[in-house]
Amino acid sequence: MSFGRFLLKRTLQGVVVVWGVVTVVFLLRFITPGSPVDVVAPLDASPELRRQIARELGVDRPLYVQYFEYLAGLLRGDMGYSYLSGTEASARVFARLPATLELTVAATIVAVALSVPLGVISATRRHQPSDYAATTFSLLGISTPNFWLGIMLVLVLAVQFDVFPTSDRAFGFLESVGHLVVIAVDGPLVPPGEGTRLVVEFPLDVGAFGRTFTTWLSYIVLPAVTLGTYFTALITRLTRSGMLEELGQSYVQAARAKGLPETLVRYRHALRNTLIPVVTVVGLQMGTLIGGAVITEAVFDWPGLGTTVINAIQQRDWPILQGSLIVIGVGFVVVNIAVDAIYAYLNPRVVE
Amino acid sequence: MLSPRTLRNLKREFDRSALAKVGVALVALVVFVAVFAPLLAPHDPTAQSLDDKRLPPLGFSGTENQTTTERVNGTVQVVNETVTVNATADHPLGTNALGQDMLSRVIYGARTSLLVGLLGTLLAAVVGVPVGLVAGYVRGRVDDALMRSADVMLAFPSLVLAIALVGLWGRAAIRVPDPFVVAGLAPGMPRTFTLPGTVIVVVGLVNWVWFARVARGEALALRDEEYVKAARSLGASDPFVLRRHVLPNSATPILVLATIQVAAIVLLESALSYLGFSGTELSWGFDIAQGRDYLATAWWISTMPGIAIVLTVIGINLLGDWLRDALDPGIEGEGGGGA
Amino acid sequence: MSDRDVDRRSFLRLAGTAAAAASLAGCSGGGDGNGDGGDGETGDGGGNATDGEGGNETGTEERPEPETREEYLQRANLLLHEQAPWVYLNRQYSVYGVSNEIQWEARRDERIEAYAIQPQDGKRSVRITQSQMDSGLDPHDHRETPTDNIVLQAYEGLLGRDPEGAIVEKLATGYERIEEGTVRFDIREGVTFHSGEELAPEDVAFSINRIVKEDVGGLASPQRDQLAGVTGAEVVDGERAVRVNSDGVNPIVFQEFATYCDIVQRSWIEEHEGSYINSNMNGTGPFQLENYNQDVSVSFARYEDYWREPAPAESLEITAAGEASTRVNQLLGGETDLVVNVPPQDAGRVQESSGASLSAVPSTRIIYNAMVYNREPFDSTEFRRAMNLAVDLDSIIENVLSGFADPTGQPTLEGFVGYNDEVGPFEHDPERAQSLVEESGYAGAEIELHTPVGRYLKDLEIAQAVASQIDNLENVSCSVQQRDFQTLAGELLDGDLSTSPAFYLIGWGNATFDASQTIIPLLTSDGALTSYSSDRVDELIQQAQSMTGEGPGSSGADGDGNQSGNDSSSS
Repeated sequence: MSFGRFLLKRTLQGVVVVWGVVTVVFLLRFITPGSPVDVVAPLDASPELRRQIARELGVDRPLYVQYFEYLAGLLRGDMGYSYLSGTEASARVFARLPATLELTVAATIVAVALSVPLGVISATRRHQPSDYAATTFSLLGISTPNFWLGIMLVLVLAVQFDVFPTSDRAFGFLESVGHLVVIAVDGPLVPPGEGTRLVVEFPLDVGAFGRTFTTWLSYIVLPAVTLGTYFTALITRLTRSGMLEELGQSYVQAARAKGLPETLVRYRHALRNTLIPVVTVVGLQMGTLIGGAVITEAVFDWPGLGTTVINAIQQRDWPILQGSLIVIGVGFVVVNIAVDAIYAYLNPRVVE
Repeated sequence: MLSPRTLRNLKREFDRSALAKVGVALVALVVFVAVFAPLLAPHDPTAQSLDDKRLPPLGFSGTENQTTTERVNGTVQVVNETVTVNATADHPLGTNALGQDMLSRVIYGARTSLLVGLLGTLLAAVVGVPVGLVAGYVRGRVDDALMRSADVMLAFPSLVLAIALVGLWGRAAIRVPDPFVVAGLAPGMPRTFTLPGTVIVVVGLVNWVWFARVARGEALALRDEEYVKAARSLGASDPFVLRRHVLPNSATPILVLATIQVAAIVLLESALSYLGFSGTELSWGFDIAQGRDYLATAWWISTMPGIAIVLTVIGINLLGDWLRDALDPGIEGEGGGGA
Repeated sequence: MSDRDVDRRSFLRLAGTAAAAASLAGCSGGGDGNGDGGDGETGDGGGNATDGEGGNETGTEERPEPETREEYLQRANLLLHEQAPWVYLNRQYSVYGVSNEIQWEARRDERIEAYAIQPQDGKRSVRITQSQMDSGLDPHDHRETPTDNIVLQAYEGLLGRDPEGAIVEKLATGYERIEEGTVRFDIREGVTFHSGEELAPEDVAFSINRIVKEDVGGLASPQRDQLAGVTGAEVVDGERAVRVNSDGVNPIVFQEFATYCDIVQRSWIEEHEGSYINSNMNGTGPFQLENYNQDVSVSFARYEDYWREPAPAESLEITAAGEASTRVNQLLGGETDLVVNVPPQDAGRVQESSGASLSAVPSTRIIYNAMVYNREPFDSTEFRRAMNLAVDLDSIIENVLSGFADPTGQPTLEGFVGYNDEVGPFEHDPERAQSLVEESGYAGAEIELHTPVGRYLKDLEIAQAVASQIDNLENVSCSVQQRDFQTLAGELLDGDLSTSPAFYLIGWGNATFDASQTIIPLLTSDGALTSYSSDRVDELIQQAQSMTGEGPGSSGADGDGNQSGNDSSSS
């Protein structure tokens, strides 16, 4: 099977899974007590009015009709309208997506940047202090609830020492980068609450961009570290044990015997083979990362999909809840296909 | 299930590894505390004493600004006063905003965490293992259908799905009589213990897939083993073969997975309680959430239960590492779901 | 529920749901001010001869029949104290954190009018942080305070209230009762919508009808009950005035218009779809919408053609943070200028800080535990009274709420029309409570208190304290059941008493400043959210609602109704 065919097959499987996700999300409403009419109708609604609302929402029709309409809507990019605010669910969900993406990507970057070196150091300096430090860190990391870690980070770094803002998101990364372009006219972006935008001197002010970027960074550091810690710890453990195993393999010993430089042996061969299973696990754990993002958003009031999901559950705003869950599910499927592709690329044997 | 060879491996690894000893000790401690909570807790964890609210832990006596109101000509005036708050040996870990003893709450919280962890894992295994074994053994369409539905399950982060289900279905709680109190051994302790029923069901439901995947892998491999083939050719029925040969030989990886799952579910439960999706007030996550409001004034309310969670999960993870290293079932990394 | 008394039923139903939804929602549209808001000394059961006396109705009934509307309402409150259908808890305070860079006084109705914010020292823009964002911007399609506080910056009503709660004229320049069920508003000239077009009487009549009539304006407004009794409005031919008709006398019609009913532009509403109206604004208010980032922030610019002086602040941004400590940290960090719901434990930090201070007022919300009257053991008056005596309300207010609350002993808040100042809170008397439980025949009862979590200030902690104090009685055991607010509210509001929990904590905001809007929905037989039924209470309320109360010494249609309410409360 060629790589292209492998990818096609995975994509088709992905489509099936997405269809399953949509179906589960749709059925969730029917295994939940209460009717959407309760959410929408005024308290004193007469039975006729309730029937009229049910008709307007379309929930008075047979299950299968609603189901196919919902599927058809999704294909058009239509997730329905919020029960509470009447606004388009898809617009609302996609407006929240960038914040969550930004957070998860930042956390992944933190995790990968820290964990692979840590794991390698740990494996190559076995039973030395740096190994013990890395092992202890990774053990703590996989054992600490990230919401608690977030709270403790806020307690120490924001409440006690006031290094970072406690919560919220200043503005999006793209906004802050995009601002480089318009900075000459409008000045740097300012954090929430500081009101007016400074007027900035011409020509292009790199300093203003720098301040904008620093502001953006100061808001994302704590959430990203909170979310990334579990992941960092997990990958460190995997890398360490993988490296140890690889370094004990006969091909490594053979390479060493041939007199290849130790760095080349370690990084060209051992690390590469170690990373193959690591990539798979990272893909499988994407769900954990997204789940972690939900609670991290709750701790830091990060305006992403997680807070949207929690609010939608509490308000029984089904179109928003369903839309958010579908976007999360699709995101997971896409990431996994990408991971599989990377895996297949690194290790062509899986493409039998 | 545990052959003498297995036991030898376990013992050797235990002797060799200090971390394994630490893990076993921590888990033993937590289990002991959870089981004998009514005998160990100095106070009824739910008993309130509003006058003793927010006492600091031993060694942290100090002054605190308290604010109250006064009515002056019908308008509300805010009054600040500085008061000294002294830690007492009666409440070594301090008290929370209702004057409940933090140490007793931490002790009882171990019960909730462990019970949810164990029962949730059990449920996940009871659902997941048979499905996985059958799929791997039968293969074909059944297997495809299982793998796709497992993928669908995995596409929902377990925390998100659990929040949705508990939030939508309600927070049913089951009150179980406490045997120690019923027997009269622990007077003054709560007569019943509250199990968060919906949470247990939900954490089981969102985690069964991991068991199904591992069991399927084992069944796929064992199916072609000679002794299984032999059993079948001798006319043994499929259920018999599954029960008699495939299941026992899958036990090791499932056991290791179960250990990891208990840790994951303890974390998941604390996250659910933290977000308010639980059914009990005696839970570490719940106390952390309560303490969140008091971070600047009474840091210990959130800190103490957090430390308890970390120690418990470290213990279980070390135990899991020990089992894995000793038995080497090769499933490292799966069964995730830290909160 | 039979149709035996259609008239009464219909007004009870309409009136009942009004406040119900709002208060329940944890966010009633904001009441109005209430005179001096009570002096907080009502406590201690002072002057209340009925406390602990086993509350029998006969004592009350020996009194002469009331004569005025207010007296009927006061009698109902006395009866409701004696019958103890609730465990009376606290009147909630609204506590705000205010940066020193602005000047602003808290209102009693949970509303934040940014028009009243005075930025200091050349500051031009103001930022407000609430606990949650809006549920859409259609002024007639919501009913929670957070949405109100966003919408009211751009939309206005016919009447309004000053910070003390007295009725003031806004888009109306005059208002009077023409006959029993009909009132008239004269409409202000020279008012323009943000679209630039002028306000016409047709817009006013349309706005009222959009709320009270299901088939007008493209929605069935959840605010219909806020204009309880109102059946419709029409333009007075050839005049710049609007006539509003009610079903029956409707004694509180002006109070309703002083708090509710935002005026929208008819053509703008009719030309646009619901989702557009929910994400844009076109009102006559002091701020016009600049940018709407749903769930995150709403920003406004000052409306320069406002009919009064333009607002002091040039721009305004409203955002939200769900966690109270987060809001406080933002305030102390200079990230925002005004935050809502500062929790008691953080009050000290705000007060101590150099950059901000607290502003606290008693709100129009009461927190109580309903005990459903036809469910065991709460069908016994003795048992219900015992629950009140078991609770140490003063301790809860001091320790859980740090004094940011007033104790209550009747459903109506001090300063409201119908408040009975002879009735104080129950005293804490566990021994008497125990013997009353014995008398009730329900010794050994096991009860469960259902409470929402995070809906009201310290709701769960209050419930835990109450349950623990009741549990301390030797002959009753009590535990807390945490509930999801939506589900709990659903059970309470479905019109079927048997599906609701027998014992639950809930909060109620009454924006009209009138006892009827608490008692009718919560404590009469047909109330939308009732947990109680008594022929005598029903009768007293029906009497009260058939009188305008506009005689001497009671609230009047001449705009000083509230004033007199205030007078009676401050006495």
